[in-house]
Amino acid sequence: MDSLMYLLNGFTVAFAPMNIMWVTIGGVLGTIIGMLPGLGPATGVAVLLPLTFTMGPEAALITMGGVYYGAMYGGSRASILINTPGDGAAVAATFDGYPMTLKGKAEAALAISAIASFIGGIFATLVMVAVAMPVARFALKFGPAEYFLLFLFALSATASMSKGDRIKGFISMVLGLMVATIGIDAQSGVKRFTFGILELQSGIDFLVIIIAIYALGEVFKSFQNIAEGKKKVQKEFGRIWISKEEWKRCVWPILRSSPLGFFIGALPGAGGTMAALMSYNNEKSLSRHPEEFGEGAIEGVAAPEAANNAASVGAMIPMLTLGIPGSGTTAVMMGALLMLGLQPGPMLFQQQSTVIWGLIASMFIGNIILAFVNIPMAGLLVRVLAVPPKILYPIVLGLAFVGTYAISYSVMDFYLLIIFGVVGYFLSKAKIPATPMILAIIVGNNMEQSFRRAYKISDGSLSIFWSSPLAIALIIITVLSVILPIIGDMRKKRAAGKGQTA
Amino acid sequence: MKKTLLLFTALLILSPLALTAMGQQGDSDQNVQYPKGNLDFVAPSGAGGGWDLTIRTTAKALKDTGLVKVPMPVRNNPGAGGSVHLASLQEKKGDDKTITVYSPPLILTKLAGTTDLDYNNVTPLARLIADYAVFVVKADSPYKSINDVMNSLKNDVKSVKIGGTSSAGSMDHLQFLIMAKAAGVKNLRDIDYVSFDDSGAAQVMGGHIDLFSTGLSEVLGLIQSGDLRALAQTAPHRVGEGVVADIPTCMEAGISATFVNWRGLFGPPEMPEYAVNYWRETLGKLRLTPEWEAARKTNGWDDAYLDAPDFKEFLVQADNEFRDILNEIGMLQN
Repeated sequence: MDSLMYLLNGFTVAFAPMNIMWVTIGGVLGTIIGMLPGLGPATGVAVLLPLTFTMGPEAALITMGGVYYGAMYGGSRASILINTPGDGAAVAATFDGYPMTLKGKAEAALAISAIASFIGGIFATLVMVAVAMPVARFALKFGPAEYFLLFLFALSATASMSKGDRIKGFISMVLGLMVATIGIDAQSGVKRFTFGILELQSGIDFLVIIIAIYALGEVFKSFQNIAEGKKKVQKEFGRIWISKEEWKRCVWPILRSSPLGFFIGALPGAGGTMAALMSYNNEKSLSRHPEEFGEGAIEGVAAPEAANNAASVGAMIPMLTLGIPGSGTTAVMMGALLMLGLQPGPMLFQQQSTVIWGLIASMFIGNIILAFVNIPMAGLLVRVLAVPPKILYPIVLGLAFVGTYAISYSVMDFYLLIIFGVVGYFLSKAKIPATPMILAIIVGNNMEQSFRRAYKISDGSLSIFWSSPLAIALIIITVLSVILPIIGDMRKKRAAGKGQTA
Repeated sequence: MKKTLLLFTALLILSPLALTAMGQQGDSDQNVQYPKGNLDFVAPSGAGGGWDLTIRTTAKALKDTGLVKVPMPVRNNPGAGGSVHLASLQEKKGDDKTITVYSPPLILTKLAGTTDLDYNNVTPLARLIADYAVFVVKADSPYKSINDVMNSLKNDVKSVKIGGTSSAGSMDHLQFLIMAKAAGVKNLRDIDYVSFDDSGAAQVMGGHIDLFSTGLSEVLGLIQSGDLRALAQTAPHRVGEGVVADIPTCMEAGISATFVNWRGLFGPPEMPEYAVNYWRETLGKLRLTPEWEAARKTNGWDDAYLDAPDFKEFLVQADNEFRDILNEIGMLQN
């Protein structure tokens, strides 16, 4: 009940006209930043950092929070419309969002992504009010062994994500794991595959590869289509909304993905990208018609969108309750807290309760505002599809380069962008799916490092990987997630076989 | 053919001369008024880290005190533990506008073989502040003092798992080894050090590692709340107030060593003398202002001011100390 009192108090802060203005500005700014390839919430918050000097701590946190989840709303716009995710968390929205656009259902995809984001955000904020502390304490149970198993579970999604040919899916995954080993190995200090290039020592940022594979890949592909005269533009647009039937398909996926996303977000080091990919995989394996996934299933957009927005709320938990940054964005936010003279840590909730609860209350308001802003905004954005490719794709190309530069201000990344763009093109020619590679690049390094940490801590005994109940639970769900789709396939084949003989 | 080549060579030889002449002309102009126009403050890391925080705070304090009146926009040039920016500074020889921040990794990245550049390839202006290393354990850990840990390591070098957030051979690792060496632990090479990313504090709280070697300001909140117990810090004296002031130094525990995570400001290589003098003087003044003191207090930074000549001497000394330890654990590369 104390929480409710604090929350009411927080609303008095959040409802101050200035703070409503800040959350709107932050949210809209975040949406726009999220839409641009390469520019994600971390960049958005970093850009705001100098500005926060001039604000009070409440306003600063509220604005930065708005940018964070605003970026989650915006990230999927470009995924859906031009197959170019704005950041890692929006990759999953390309799987079904873009096929929906190709089928002329961009309006529904944009609408469900805003609706799912809204529900995910509100749900996660409600849960945060109730259980922030217990969740933060539970997350501490995740040691290196558990993290390894969690990343392994995420990677096992490859099995279901590679449409059709599993072997090609694994080829793609292995390529990704290889790329993930580039850079200085933190456990030994040894440089791996850096070829004497300074910029490669901190590894390759997965965002560069996402932009390369998707944005450049899309440009290359369209280039070919234009030449062959296949690419058409959409001329007529419907209302940005969904049908009752579509809503029915999405309710449960959204309600399942929101808590999942929230929890994954609350684990330091996991984050929105993992949350979105895991929830997508989860829905696919639970679905009664998994074959529609990847072909434009609306719940394939709803689930990851709900999850990544919930994850952005969850990610604030370790920062606010323990003073531990759980993601790149919250690390920057923590830097801002310090500059504002607040000491992050368990005492923050008590010492700065108005600031913290003001932030939490503003997340309710911010999500409502964003839902209202995003639906009409999507109505404008969808008209991108009416832009002739000749004009649209040069712009995409330009944005890809700008976005890449914004990641680490490194010209080296341009070369990587082009190299991986070409790699992506040939992968698609060879019908090798790119997503397992992306997923492997995102989790590969963390997975390997977690394994080595665990191995060192246990003095070289593998039993650490099944020595806690949590670890065993993770092993079970991983095994299930690999086996279930295979059993499903076999059943279907058998059923089909029976149908023929009968 | 030969003639063109000759001409080309002559041009090549002459061009730096011409450039210097032009540069000198520029110098005499600026001598009258420095700084002029925008300065270029650079954090060699991404936003939100220690370097970023330091340079932004410094820029703000310089502005608030009115010591510097020209704009001081801060930009980030991250990569390879600051080495990317260090390399790009080499293209700015003699520039008077770029001010950047570094800390012990400036020495360590070279020793680890990441780069061939180090403090000799920049112009030290002043050492400003210090944060100290602290060794923390879980609140219910059996280790009650730093000597408990060292004794346990002496009995069985594998018995205590040390965690940190920098990679092996880097700061969090070395600051512990310096203490272990001074405490008389043998075979430093066999001590298990586990490198984590941001979440190291969560790992020690969850009991996955035994001891977390980190910076005092990183875990201040968790020490204050009692979630973590600080066994010792590495300053030559007690620091801070409240629970922080209760943390004993390693010296008090009979380990005669200190570790200072200093942060200082640097200019590009061969920074002109007028600029160096300006910054030495300005930073010397800044250090005594109430604004700077307030900023230090907020961030939990100790005053560690050293003027450029002393700073340079200090860097050589720190370099030697790191070399010894890295050599001992077989990680010295350069």
